[in-house]
Amino acid sequence: MRRMGDLLDGYSLAHPYGRNAWDEMFEDRGSPRPGTKALCDILQSLSGAELESRASARDRMFRDRGITFQLSGEERPFPLDLIPRLIVDEEWQELERGIVQRVKALEALLADVYGAGRIFSDGVIPRRLVTSSEHFHRAAWGIEPPNGVRVHVAGIDVVRGEDGHFYVLEDNLRCPSGVSYVIENRRMMARIFPELFASHRVTAVDGYPAKLLEALRAAAPPGVADPTVVVMTPGVYNSAFFEHSFLARQMGVELVEGRDLLCHSGRVYMRTSDGEREVHVIYRRVDDEFLDPLHFRSDSLVGCPGLINVARSGNVTLANAVGNGVADDKLTYTYVPEAIRYYLGEEPILRNVATYRLEDPEQLAYTLARMDELVFKPVSGSGGYGIVIGPEATDEQLASLRQNLTVNPRGWIAQELVALSTAPTWVDNRIAPRHLDLRPFAINDGNGIWVLPGGLTRVALPEGGLVVNSSQGGGSKDTWVIAGSSRRKAKAPTGGHGREVASNAPAPGSSLRRPSGLPVGVFDPEPGPSWEDPDRLHQQERQQQQAGHGQGPLSC
Amino acid sequence: MTPRRLKIDHTSRYSYSGVVQSSYNEVRLTPLSTPCQQLLDLRVRVTPQVPLYTYIDYWGTQVHAFDIHSPHDTLTVASSSVVEMSTVDASEPDVTWASLETDAVSDDFGEFLDYTSYVPSDGRIAGVAGSLSHTGSPGEAAIAALSWVGAELTYKTGATGVHTSGIQAWEGGEGVCQDFAHLSLCLLRAMKIPARYCSGYVYPSEDVTVGAAIPAESHAWVEYWVGDWVAVDPTAGAPVSDRHVLVARGRDYSDVAPVKGIFNGGPTSGMQVDVRLTPLA
Repeated sequence: MRRMGDLLDGYSLAHPYGRNAWDEMFEDRGSPRPGTKALCDILQSLSGAELESRASARDRMFRDRGITFQLSGEERPFPLDLIPRLIVDEEWQELERGIVQRVKALEALLADVYGAGRIFSDGVIPRRLVTSSEHFHRAAWGIEPPNGVRVHVAGIDVVRGEDGHFYVLEDNLRCPSGVSYVIENRRMMARIFPELFASHRVTAVDGYPAKLLEALRAAAPPGVADPTVVVMTPGVYNSAFFEHSFLARQMGVELVEGRDLLCHSGRVYMRTSDGEREVHVIYRRVDDEFLDPLHFRSDSLVGCPGLINVARSGNVTLANAVGNGVADDKLTYTYVPEAIRYYLGEEPILRNVATYRLEDPEQLAYTLARMDELVFKPVSGSGGYGIVIGPEATDEQLASLRQNLTVNPRGWIAQELVALSTAPTWVDNRIAPRHLDLRPFAINDGNGIWVLPGGLTRVALPEGGLVVNSSQGGGSKDTWVIAGSSRRKAKAPTGGHGREVASNAPAPGSSLRRPSGLPVGVFDPEPGPSWEDPDRLHQQERQQQQAGHGQGPLSC
Repeated sequence: MTPRRLKIDHTSRYSYSGVVQSSYNEVRLTPLSTPCQQLLDLRVRVTPQVPLYTYIDYWGTQVHAFDIHSPHDTLTVASSSVVEMSTVDASEPDVTWASLETDAVSDDFGEFLDYTSYVPSDGRIAGVAGSLSHTGSPGEAAIAALSWVGAELTYKTGATGVHTSGIQAWEGGEGVCQDFAHLSLCLLRAMKIPARYCSGYVYPSEDVTVGAAIPAESHAWVEYWVGDWVAVDPTAGAPVSDRHVLVARGRDYSDVAPVKGIFNGGPTSGMQVDVRLTPLA
């Protein structure tokens, strides 16, 4: 227990499952950690009524701007906590270096998996790991990305353990989402808490769209001087649609759906009212399985037939590349430290959470004996689905899990439970510790990997909760990287960028022209699915990107 | 007698009851070059006429891809290839059951041990596999497995379709070469012997008249690994000979389908496939 001003009075540190969770603001004995004193002082100077009125202002503005999410069928304003999470510069620099290192190794791994397979022949990773992964897309074999980049955008989920170190929980290399909330959270905080920014050197985050556009343009097929970039969305029913339209708007590029695109003789075009216009780079937020009905699910209504072969011929770049899921699978995760040593000749800067591979009989026996202490995750799952937290599971759940693990050990990993760190959070008219994680975003433009300072902090709002999913009562925090004196503030988007945007935008007056609905068929000889099935279309729009913020991974 | 040089003409013609506005397709019709056969010439023509894009897929098969954007009510894909055939001394490899269980085998051939929708896992087949495994070495058990398939399935066209699994064909007791191949794969994989699906052609006659075209069909058989790959034709109940022309290998039919596509319009009202084999030498 500690005594401070009104609001922080009674702030007591959390002890999930008897562990001492690390608090982001306070040391064990209650004094503010280095760099957090200024925020601490401001919080002490505020009354509960003042914070409540800012909370109302926040909700009103989010609603006005349409930044909401669905919880139990109800539209609610995005749950941004009023108190930012601080990361001091020295800590951030190490985290940043660790993420850059990790993304570099994951890029090398993907190039190897869809290429020569050196890491297999050298016996570092079993080839079976890849060939047994449902995300290993043989259709993507032989596609050479023009600038060698497959992971244009990565979201690396990290948590801070009891010892204060950051641990990687999960890599997201397919369609990581949530960055729009990072930018919107910052805008909101600047409006409702301007005085906080006066007393802190907060590194800017609004340069992200410009960095992304730069990386997408750099990924264009060779010889295209002024590439046309588009954002491809599954549609308005997708939970991340807000982000898709946000990024397209911020980058000044078209937002398209599969039906707006047309592959024709080895090139991709978008249909506009001015005719067809060639597209060179597609930042696609449609899952692999739905992207091209010729190669993947032939019943996909949200993809565009022919895309894979145009990418193979080198006339369009798909970002992120198809088949990246093989490298962010939870079993592959256990080999990432090995991959870092193998490809980079370096020791991993960021640690993995201790993880057990259940295909190994010894590790299986060890975890079966400790089921009530460990966390079990399905290898191919994302979005936190199917995860079993040992200490919270009933005897029946553990018994049925035991059965699953024994029958299908390839399908599961077991992890040591991490007591996620906590930070002061405004809940129920008081400030209390709540557990949180962090998803930093990295962009690879082929010349270097840039990490957005901070990232998306997700916070579990129920007391003691370790589940940060917004679909399960999770919220978020604006994440501040406090610039040190040695470091420049993040560069604002440059002036030259505006010209790029203008050249990329559609001609004045032109708009996307959609084809009329036509039935579609598949040879040999099933009756074809119909384009005119709105229920199925909406269902597929929703199915995409389960790893998105709405259903983010369970962090424990 | 066997032909030394074979010309293969394979024409597929699809007709649609409505007008098709656009279609996207891939065909796998190019004979492989292997120690047993050498591709000498290849032509693929598509009507309506469109440019073709070719690539080699993950399984090593040459693919021709094309898309059509003019309204059409028929689609014809005609391939014509010439292959030089040669005989390779048949070795008789074998391994121990224990060596099939090693990580090296699962690393190299794991994909050919996995079950698929055409080659599903089945408890009854597992039982058969268990009893056949006791009859001898993997090589001997594989031969026993193929004769079991030959005894269980009767060759009959029309009893099964292109989407029938090996197990479904077995339950009906009848099928064509695709079904013989899939059922063989079910059993071999249940015995933990890596096994893959092969598609191609077989010259159907003992009579070789140079220049005389013989009507034939696409064919399917299997290869299994017992220290080396062994190719057998479960439909014929015989080893693969120098009358077999190999086009593609994969886990099952879906990896090697000669023609696959998706189209806007239709539906398909008819499909006609014509294969002719002509000995050139």
